[in-house]
Amino acid sequence: MTAVACELCPRRCVIPEGGAGDCRIRVNLGGKLRATTYGRPSAIHIDPMEKKPLFHFHPGTSVFSIATAGCNLHCLNCQNWQLSQRGGEEMEQIYRADPPEVVKAAKEQGCKSLAYTYSDPVVFYEYVYDTSAIARREGLNNTYHTAGYINPKPLRRLCGLLDASNTDLKAFDDGFYRRVTGATLQPVLDALVTLREEGVWLEVTNLVIPTLNDDLAMIRRMASWMRDELGPDTPLHLSRFQPQYRMRNLPPTPAEALDRARREALDAGLRYVYIGNVPGHEANSTYCPTDGTLLIRRVGFMVVENKLTADGRCPTCNQKIPGVWK
Amino acid sequence: MHDLYALRSAAVAFPRVRHWHRREARFVTLVAVTALVIGLQLSAGLQLASREGTGWRAVDTAAIHRRIETGDLRDREADWYHPATAVERKQVVERP
Repeated sequence: MTAVACELCPRRCVIPEGGAGDCRIRVNLGGKLRATTYGRPSAIHIDPMEKKPLFHFHPGTSVFSIATAGCNLHCLNCQNWQLSQRGGEEMEQIYRADPPEVVKAAKEQGCKSLAYTYSDPVVFYEYVYDTSAIARREGLNNTYHTAGYINPKPLRRLCGLLDASNTDLKAFDDGFYRRVTGATLQPVLDALVTLREEGVWLEVTNLVIPTLNDDLAMIRRMASWMRDELGPDTPLHLSRFQPQYRMRNLPPTPAEALDRARREALDAGLRYVYIGNVPGHEANSTYCPTDGTLLIRRVGFMVVENKLTADGRCPTCNQKIPGVWK
Repeated sequence: MHDLYALRSAAVAFPRVRHWHRREARFVTLVAVTALVIGLQLSAGLQLASREGTGWRAVDTAAIHRRIETGDLRDREADWYHPATAVERKQVVERP
């Protein structure tokens, strides 16, 4: 029996022959670890960039989004569990799309960016890497929506090809990570710092779940950490929880709880704090932190109005707004 | 004898209330079973995620091979792994 040790994520699974890693899709066949979903996505969609959510990165553009089965987290509230909590051999729908075909399809559809998303792109790393390399050569952007549960070396190698990442910070509490996601907090914090250090445009999402991670003191600690380690200009998306998968016993997050959390994060010094999954909420939009001018008005994932100047400044006070605008 | 008499007198003064019936035993059992089920359900829910992510998974290898043969899956060698060392192999926990 030739067991192998995976080095990709902090789980460091030791996998005997015929077994899979915790992610279900990295399988030891014949003593070699196989990326079984390489070039075999189970989800392909064209989304608005705002759905990732990336609000300071090419707003209002379309992004060609792909995902394969598998995930290295097991969130009780996963919204894509039909995809993420299954192995490739369990999927009914599998597309055959090798990296060159993905890039070709994205260009044909008029998308200037690719997104590796829905499940967690960490687990289909090789597919992401090869596709990103071709996309970069072809002038497309590579964006990444991840839980950030990845080891530093593979992440640094990938960062050279990434343009933007929305990374989940699910709670600022290791106990929450262990109970609700099956992961741990510190590697995620390390990944966030690495993404920032490597110059990848970074936005952070925190799904606010009633009673589990909506404590205002914890929100403040998280926002303070972000301010100090990632910078006050890092956008934070506070998203509304909807009961699903194995967490149907809690109600959706009340809008007032999200408002309170947003105030707390703004008070802690973050300049761009958004509220997600509440279409029509005023905090879907971007405001100038200096004079409060409405810069980008959004309704849900739709950009209704964009008043930023061509070089990404507030038209009223000329304040430079951080982001990648064109 | 004297003590026994005193005890009997006390028993008369404070007659023992007979309150244990079979139906109450059934009720107590029902409450205990319900509490147990709720407890198991809660702990299963809370520990579900933490039980996962503990190393590796047994998978249907025959199904994986079949889908590789049909082209639905790939046998592309992954990056970021190494043959397990003797110390690492000891971590492998047998799975059913």
